[in-house]
Amino acid sequence: MLIYIKVNINLFKVIKIYLYKYTKSFLRSKGSMKRLKIAFIHAVCAFLIFSTVFMTGCGKNTDDNDGNTYVFATWAAGEELKEFQEIIDRINNEANGDFYIKTLSIPSDYYIKISTYVAGKKTPDFFWLTQELISKYASMGVIADITDEFKASTEINPDTFYPGVLASAEYDCKYYGVPWIANPLIVYYNRDLFREAGVDFPDPLGGWTWDEFIDVASKLTVKKTDSNGNQYQQYGYIVDGWPNIETFIWAGGGDIVGENGKDILIDSHETLKGLGILQKILKSGITPKYSEVASLGSNNVWFEKQRAAMFMGGIQDNFEEKISKLPEEERFEIGYAPMPVCADGKPHGFDWTASTVMSKKLEGDKKAFMILEKITKEFFKWKIAPPIKGTVEQIVEIDPLKEPALPTIKICLENARSANYTPEWNEINDKLWNRIYSKMLNDPDFDYETEAKAVAREAREIMDKRK
Amino acid sequence: MKKRKKGKNIGFLFVLPWVTGMCLFGVVPLVASVFISMTDWGILGDFNYIGLQNYIDIFNDEIFYVSLWVTVRYAIFAVPLTICTALLIAVFLNIQTKAVGFFRSVFYMPSLVSGVAVAVVFKWILDPNYGLINSVLNIFGIKGPNWLFDPNWVLPSYLVMAFWGACGGYLTYLAALKDIPKELYEAAKIEGAGFIKRTTKITVPLLSPIIFYNTIMGIISAFRKFSDAYVLGGAGDEGRFYMVNLYQEAFSFYKMGYATALAWILFVIIMDITIVLNITKKYWVYSD
Repeated sequence: MLIYIKVNINLFKVIKIYLYKYTKSFLRSKGSMKRLKIAFIHAVCAFLIFSTVFMTGCGKNTDDNDGNTYVFATWAAGEELKEFQEIIDRINNEANGDFYIKTLSIPSDYYIKISTYVAGKKTPDFFWLTQELISKYASMGVIADITDEFKASTEINPDTFYPGVLASAEYDCKYYGVPWIANPLIVYYNRDLFREAGVDFPDPLGGWTWDEFIDVASKLTVKKTDSNGNQYQQYGYIVDGWPNIETFIWAGGGDIVGENGKDILIDSHETLKGLGILQKILKSGITPKYSEVASLGSNNVWFEKQRAAMFMGGIQDNFEEKISKLPEEERFEIGYAPMPVCADGKPHGFDWTASTVMSKKLEGDKKAFMILEKITKEFFKWKIAPPIKGTVEQIVEIDPLKEPALPTIKICLENARSANYTPEWNEINDKLWNRIYSKMLNDPDFDYETEAKAVAREAREIMDKRK
Repeated sequence: MKKRKKGKNIGFLFVLPWVTGMCLFGVVPLVASVFISMTDWGILGDFNYIGLQNYIDIFNDEIFYVSLWVTVRYAIFAVPLTICTALLIAVFLNIQTKAVGFFRSVFYMPSLVSGVAVAVVFKWILDPNYGLINSVLNIFGIKGPNWLFDPNWVLPSYLVMAFWGACGGYLTYLAALKDIPKELYEAAKIEGAGFIKRTTKITVPLLSPIIFYNTIMGIISAFRKFSDAYVLGGAGDEGRFYMVNLYQEAFSFYKMGYATALAWILFVIIMDITIVLNITKKYWVYSD
C-alpha cells in the first residue's frame, strides 16, 4: 500500500511537470495545425501517464491473504447469510487468532462475479461451487486438488460420504471439493387428495415403477369445483422443465455422459427409452400444459394450492412450513415417497449438491484444508441433508418438520446420484433443454428420437474439441 | 489574444479526463478484444493464441445462424414498425390541441423505463392464461395465442413490446416536424394537395434525414437486443437473439474468446448494413 502511494506521488509530480511544459510549448507554437498536432501528441502522452497511474493500482499485489486471513465466497443472502455468518464467527472465535475467515457474500450473478475475481487473479480462498461446474473449474486450474488431504482426513473422510454425492466433487479421478449438502429428489404427495380419489398411498420405502406412478397420477387428474362453484382442473403431477431431463433419462437406464466422463450416451437405446417415459407423461394429460404452469407463478405453487397432487422436489423444500402457515381450510397432509425406480430397480433420483472448493493457490496447504474441514463439519449441522452416511436422524434436529419423511429420505439419500459432469456440461445441457426438453414440453408429439441423435452428434463434436 | 490562448489551453485540460477515460475504458478494451477473439480464453484459465479458429468455429456453428436469423428477422419487422409508429405519433402530437403537453409526456414515458422492468411486466401481459392481452381478447370471445410459449408467436410477442417502446421515439421526429416551414404546407393547400399528398410530398421527404438517422440507430438497437430477451426467452430457440447467445457463450459456457469473436462479427454486420444505407442515402434522403 505504501509503495503504491509513493509511486503515485512521484507520478503526480511527473504529471505536474509535464502539464507545465505542455502549456509552455503550446503557447509558443504558431499556426492552428501545428497546435493541433502538439495537442494530439500531448493528449496521447497524458493518456499513457494517466493509464500508468491506474495500472499501478491494478497491478499491486493481488494476494490479499496475509497468511492468516482467508476469504470465503458464498451465494448466501438475507437470513441464510446471517446463519452463515454465525457459523463463521463461531469458527473464528475458536481459532484464537490462528486464522481469520472473512465472508464475501455474492447474492446475485454469483458465477459471473466469481469468474471475474478469478480473471482478476483475486480468486477467493474458499467458495461454494455447484456440482455442474466443478469439472470446469478443475480443468481450468482454478481450484485445488485436495485428494491427498481428503483421503488422509480423519474428520471428513471420503468413505463416509454417500457415493452419489461424492462423485459430484470428483474430476479425472481426483477430488476438487468437499460436498456440504445433499438435496435428493423426493415425491411429495397430497394425502387428502389421495383419500378423496380413493387411491392407495405409495409405499414410503418406494418400489413403484414409472408406469405405476403415471397410473396413480391419472387417477388423481380430475375436474373439480371450488367453493365459488367454478370448475378447475386438478392434475396428478406437474412437470415444466423440472424435474431435470436427467431424471427421466435415468428412469430408462440411460445417461447423458458415461461414467468415464467422455462417452456421449444421449442417443443410446436406454436414454431414448427414458425420454419416452417423459413423452408418455406429457401426452397422458396428468400434468398441466407448459404454457399454463406460469399462470400460478411457479411449479411448486401448484402443489401448495392443491392443483397438483404430486410434486418432485428436493428434501430441503419447505412445504411443511408453508402449508402450516396457510388458513385452516387450505391446509393438507403431506405424504412422502421415493422416486419411481429406474431400469435397475433402484430409485435413482437427482441429487442437487454443492461443494466448498479451495483456490488453486492453496493446493497442498494443510492449514487451509484444516479450515475447510472445520467449516464443512459446521455446515453438516446447518443444512439438510448432511451428505454423510448414517446421519439421517440429524435432519430432525435441523428441521423437526421433516420427521415423518425420515424413512423416505433415507432411501433417497442412499440411491440419489448426480450426473457425470464434464467441463462441457453447460453446453451439452443447453442443447438438451433447447432442442429436446422445451420442445417436448411445447409439443408432446415432438420427434425427440431424431433430435436426440442430432444433439448426441453435436455433443460428441464438443467433447472432441477438448485438448 | 492572450486570453483566447489561455481559454484554449483550459479547454484542452477540461477535455483531457474524458479523453483519458474514453481511451482507457473504450479504446484499450476494443484493441484488447481483437486479440482475445483470437485466443481460447475462458475467463477462468490462461489463454492460448489460436488464430482465426474461433471465427471458423462460429461459421460452422448452427446456433450462430439460428441466433443471427432470429435477430435479423426481428430487425426486419421491428425497425420499420418502430419508425412508422414514432412518426405517426409525432404527426399527431404536432397538432396543437389543449392536452397536447399531457400526451407528449405520456407517450415519452416508455423510453424512461428500464428494459428489465419492462420485460418483467410484459411477462405478465403476455401470459397465455391470465395475461392482460389474452384476458381482453377473452372478453370478445377470442382465444389468445400462447405468446412466448408458442414458437410461432415468439416474434410477434417481441414486436408487441417493440411497438409499445416505439412510442418514446417520437421526440426527434417532433423536433424535425417543427422545423418544416409552414409556408410549404400553405402553398400545397393552395395548390389543392390533400393530407396524404402533403404528408408524402412534404413531410416525409423533409423528415428523411431524421428517418435515416433513426433507421441506423434502430438497426443497431435491434441487433443489440439483450435485456428483455434474456429475461423473457422464448419457446425453443425463437428467443435466442444474437446478444443472448453471445452472453451465454461468454458467461455460461466460459468461452470468452469465442464470444469476443461473435462480438466482432456483429460489429462487421452492423457496419456493413450502415455502409449500404449510406450508399443508398443519396436516392431517398433529402438534403439541401
